[in-house]
Amino acid sequence: MSAIHLQNLVKKFGDFTALKTMDLAIADGEFMALLGPSGCGKSTTMNMIAGMEEPTSGKILFGERDMAGVPMGRRGVGFVFQNYAIFTHMSVRQNLAYGPKMRGAPKAEIGRRVGAIAEMLQLTPLLDRKADRLSVNILQRVAIGRSAIMEPAIFLLDEPLSNVDAAFRAVMRTELKQLQRQFRQTMVYVTHDQLEAMTMADRIAVMDHGVLQQVGTPLEVYNNPANIFVARFIGAPGMNLLRGRPAESDRGLVIDLGPLGVTPPLPVEIAAAVRGSPGDVLYGFRPEQVTLAEGGRGLSLPVNFLERIGARTIVHLGQGESAVKAVFDNDVGLAIGQTAVVAPAARSVRVFDAGTGRAIKAGG
Amino acid sequence: MSAVTATVPEDVMKTVQVKPTIRDEGAKLGFRLTLPAQILVLFIALFPLLMQLYISLTDWSPLSGLGWWNAWSLWNNFANYTDLAADARFWSALKRTAIVVIVCVPAEFLLGLALATLFADEFPGRRIFYSILLMPMMVVPAVAGYMFFMLFQSGGPVNDILSALSGFPVTIAWLSDPTLALIAVMVADIWQWTPLMFLILLAGLVGVPEDQIKAATLLGANPWQRFVTIVLPKMKTIIIIALAIRVIENFKIFDTLYIMTGGGPGVATETISVYIYKLTTQDLIWGYVAAIALAILIVLSIVAVFAMKRTARAREVTA
Repeated sequence: MSAIHLQNLVKKFGDFTALKTMDLAIADGEFMALLGPSGCGKSTTMNMIAGMEEPTSGKILFGERDMAGVPMGRRGVGFVFQNYAIFTHMSVRQNLAYGPKMRGAPKAEIGRRVGAIAEMLQLTPLLDRKADRLSVNILQRVAIGRSAIMEPAIFLLDEPLSNVDAAFRAVMRTELKQLQRQFRQTMVYVTHDQLEAMTMADRIAVMDHGVLQQVGTPLEVYNNPANIFVARFIGAPGMNLLRGRPAESDRGLVIDLGPLGVTPPLPVEIAAAVRGSPGDVLYGFRPEQVTLAEGGRGLSLPVNFLERIGARTIVHLGQGESAVKAVFDNDVGLAIGQTAVVAPAARSVRVFDAGTGRAIKAGG
Repeated sequence: MSAVTATVPEDVMKTVQVKPTIRDEGAKLGFRLTLPAQILVLFIALFPLLMQLYISLTDWSPLSGLGWWNAWSLWNNFANYTDLAADARFWSALKRTAIVVIVCVPAEFLLGLALATLFADEFPGRRIFYSILLMPMMVVPAVAGYMFFMLFQSGGPVNDILSALSGFPVTIAWLSDPTLALIAVMVADIWQWTPLMFLILLAGLVGVPEDQIKAATLLGANPWQRFVTIVLPKMKTIIIIALAIRVIENFKIFDTLYIMTGGGPGVATETISVYIYKLTTQDLIWGYVAAIALAILIVLSIVAVFAMKRTARAREVTA
């Protein structure tokens, strides 16, 4: 029983509301990432699941069991801290044995469990090393092992990769994902790095300003953002959003973007939904799903800046309200000052209500 | 000081960046620049030590009519040191001093640690209590001596409180009883120096990484287990430093004690410092005093070296 249910969870610190009504169901064995910018309430949520902080109101259920009043040492959660919080004055073996020892497990059993965990995490040759001079991936394994030895039903990880240098992160991500497959525990992973969330999580809960914005698989969140926050936050760079007004044309419903002209006609399903929604809209499309439409129909914008990131080049077009980013291969024949005509791929177009910021979905 | 001589030429090298021969000149310049400081250190530390060693090998006294530098004519073939070995009063003073240290330092440590643990967390009035708690340390020891002298009079407040608590009139002559006088002196020392322990240990306690404590909690450790397995080991260095400071200081206990008892009754509270003081001012046998002082210096240096070694090792482990 290691599913987690958060029901109407609220956390206030004095006048400051860190979390406004959060509802989230995390399935047994699921890898759930809590993703959002700093201050979005993701760490607060995690600390409440761990029992480090008491919710102001609302419920946390592990399976069917209400966790209210259960102290953090008795919740059966493994917690991996941002800096791993390894006991540096102990050896790797002592770190791994800490939990069972504190609970008074017999010596022989501790030895057996430490041996098994060390074997699984390939820490056996390092068991008698002091924990103060280990490399960061070893520290991560010790931190996970130290929690895993308690056989927790739930693993909580608080930005464990944020202190790791960029080159090493890919290695650590892979390792972490493999470990999760091995242990098959429910994992909740807090991060502000969408790449980590995308690559590791089964589902992502995107949060902002103490509000859960969207829950979905990495591709759902990327392809069908629920609102403009998610649209902008997910993806590097985020989704382009241009303000406009729906207008009928002989080719179907288009969006009148004012000085930028009109968009290509919307796909029929979306068009139907947009017709039912009054007021201005935001016309959204992914920078990766843009083609150069030389001489053809599209948005005609001046090139401001070329951001070269190796294999690809991010082209910054237009300014202010009509800023658009487009990602092309690095051999794109554009120069600063030139005017480019770009056309978003029709299937990638998403439309948002300019008033509420919510996605206008086909059939919704 | 040697560190200064070493860094000056380095800096000169960096800024000037010329041929390597400059290094020699830089070293010379550095030596010249730090010479005054080196001479000062020599006078402050080394000179008195050598002078003490010199005098301790003679029968010199201010009454001998010789300048101290002429003390060689009173050379006594290490008689001061052989006397010292046979001086029963010295050994009993040393024993008494050891008792004071063995009682006071652990008492101050445990009280200081308990208070530090209490003050590590926020509670109403913490700041005020914190300031009050540090006050004894700031009282001039002579004044503290008079305070406790008054408190422990047979008609004094200590007896009044004991009377009130027990319901019987208590008139203990604290400072006239050999055992009670020593206890009274130790109470005064503990009162005055627990705050220092508290201050040092609180600094150490606040420095214990909070997430490691949280991690221990999540792994099921109860508060006592957390204290023993995480907090104490992390504080090892600072505990050794605090203990070393207090052992060395406590060994030299003098002012408060001297005002309270004068070393009495008889020699019941005569510690090493009191004994030395009496020999210096009453017996005027300065050659012998120098020998005692040097012996004590050696003992305390061993304590200091031991402490420094332990902290160096502890730092390696916890860093």
